[in-house]
Amino acid sequence: MKKYNQISSLIWLFFAVYICIESLRLPLGSWRDPGAGFLPLGSGLCLGILSIVAYLQARFRKEDNVRESWYSKERWKSLPIILAVLFGYSLFLDTLGFLVSTFILLLMLFRFVGPQKWVVAVGGSALASIVSYVVFELWLRTQLPRGILGF
Amino acid sequence: MAFSVACQPNNLFFCFIGVLIGTLVGVLPGLGPVATISLLLPSTFQLTPVAALIMLAGIFYGAMYGGSTTSILVNIPGEAASVVTCLDGYQMARKGRAGPALGISAFGSFIAGTLSVIAIMLIAPPLANMALKFGPPEYFTLMFLGLTVVTYLASGSMVKALMMACVGIFLGTIGTDIISGLERFTYKSYTLMDGLGLVPVIMGLFGISEVLLNIDEQAAQRDIYETKISNLFPNRRDWRISIFPILRGSLIGFFLGILPGGGAVIASFGAYAFEKRISDHPEKFGSGAIEGVASPEAANNAASQGAFIPLLTLGIPANVVMAILLGALLIHGIKPGPLLMKQNPDVFWGVIGSMYIGNVMLLILNLPLIGVWVKILKIPYPILFPLILLFCLIGSYSLNNNVVEVMIMIFFGIVGFLMKKFGYEGAPLILAFVLSPLMENALRQSLIMSHGSFSIFFTRPIAVTFFVVALFLLVSPLIPGLKKRPKGGDIV
Repeated sequence: MKKYNQISSLIWLFFAVYICIESLRLPLGSWRDPGAGFLPLGSGLCLGILSIVAYLQARFRKEDNVRESWYSKERWKSLPIILAVLFGYSLFLDTLGFLVSTFILLLMLFRFVGPQKWVVAVGGSALASIVSYVVFELWLRTQLPRGILGF
Repeated sequence: MAFSVACQPNNLFFCFIGVLIGTLVGVLPGLGPVATISLLLPSTFQLTPVAALIMLAGIFYGAMYGGSTTSILVNIPGEAASVVTCLDGYQMARKGRAGPALGISAFGSFIAGTLSVIAIMLIAPPLANMALKFGPPEYFTLMFLGLTVVTYLASGSMVKALMMACVGIFLGTIGTDIISGLERFTYKSYTLMDGLGLVPVIMGLFGISEVLLNIDEQAAQRDIYETKISNLFPNRRDWRISIFPILRGSLIGFFLGILPGGGAVIASFGAYAFEKRISDHPEKFGSGAIEGVASPEAANNAASQGAFIPLLTLGIPANVVMAILLGALLIHGIKPGPLLMKQNPDVFWGVIGSMYIGNVMLLILNLPLIGVWVKILKIPYPILFPLILLFCLIGSYSLNNNVVEVMIMIFFGIVGFLMKKFGYEGAPLILAFVLSPLMENALRQSLIMSHGSFSIFFTRPIAVTFFVVALFLLVSPLIPGLKKRPKGGDIV
């Protein structure tokens, strides 16, 4: 954990540097009339200082050097699948429409992450897609995308 | 007025829907009230502001009721405020006393909820009158204090919690600056010009990340304690032992709920610790003492309702759920604060009245429907998680019919997952994110008022009090003898 704490605090430090650089491009104003860059710069500076403190705390903390993985070695493959399916859904939602893209999304999740049998995955995906369409589009009047197929 | 608004058929219906959904998410481990309220937030946009707030509030306090069921029967808290109920509730279930444990938890929650509603009715009006004297410096220092309390009570490192508060403040500045009209960190994106949406950020940080975490850790595998649940009504002896712990828990919970940064989690732990300390038989705690169930359950319910006081009277959210409700009110065009009672009395009193009615509904829901909740508990997580993800996707899309917001939500899902893995809490980030525009406005107005002098925060009595308390909390971990701070867990 010690190593991960050091790495994560360095990532936040880089993020703080980014905030400060970008904030300086905005007018900072004066004490009398603070500008648009005032608060972002302040938050960036505070984040930077705290990141350094967090790094030093992690660096000098006495912890056992047991190397434990931050992710599950057996189940980590599910996470990229889920994220890929979610990003794919957001990319094709407008094109394919709600019903088709939701069916594909659920099918992938049920079958490959679940993992359920094909019959359960197909049936469950179809049922959940139709029910959610009825609830959100027809009942709650949410404007879901129709896509090239028109539904 | 409270009951005339709350008893309108439309409001009654959404109160019922809210407490039903709240109990359901309280029962289901892996989907807390924060994620659920953010999931359902977009669907409330077509409701009246009163109905929307009644429903969202119902989800919050309904989850407090439902969370105890999983704690008692499965030894897994449905949400963070029911963690402490596991200690004695599950032991009672193992001894064949699941019924009285569930019963006293429902009755205790009901009594606490009722007392809290009465207390809100008594305290809120004078507090709102006092808040009318607040100017920008007082509001700025109060929000600063709220953020400080949240970071102070964070379950992990205080430095990390402060870092998250800074990130939240930065995220809140993205978009068009309301004073100068300049775009900040938008990179010509039309979506970002209006600022980062509250719903995609919360759904990502609390909904998507929770699913990813559950799958990574397979935390959702659970064994339900197979026992016949009977005698839900506690006997006379149970009542005699529990009634004072319920009253004490209500009192502790209510006042801890009001404090900015306090909440149901701290309240339940505080009430349990207090009961154990004053008990003649502290050794019985942890082995199935009914007062160990009654007191924290009363406290978490009282706290969840007490938290509405700072939101409705000062416009300051005491915890993350209240921050989301603040966002919901602002989306509906209502500005919570001292003037709410005068400008929108239907919203203020309608919500307060609905809480009492909601408590009655919850009592009716919880006792006879426990069998149904137990069956729901048996739904396997591999079936549940795709549906949770689907709700998140629909919720973030339907906000503005914009796929970019879906992508923002997924991005924050990944960020939230990594934050949880590396011990960074989401609560300070969200609270700071919601408060950031309000804080910036108050800060800039204060400095304009004082012609650029920061002394305005130290020369006004209320502002300086808030500031000194906040400063004390910030430096207290460095003071020898005060190093041990209470751990609040997820401040929800």
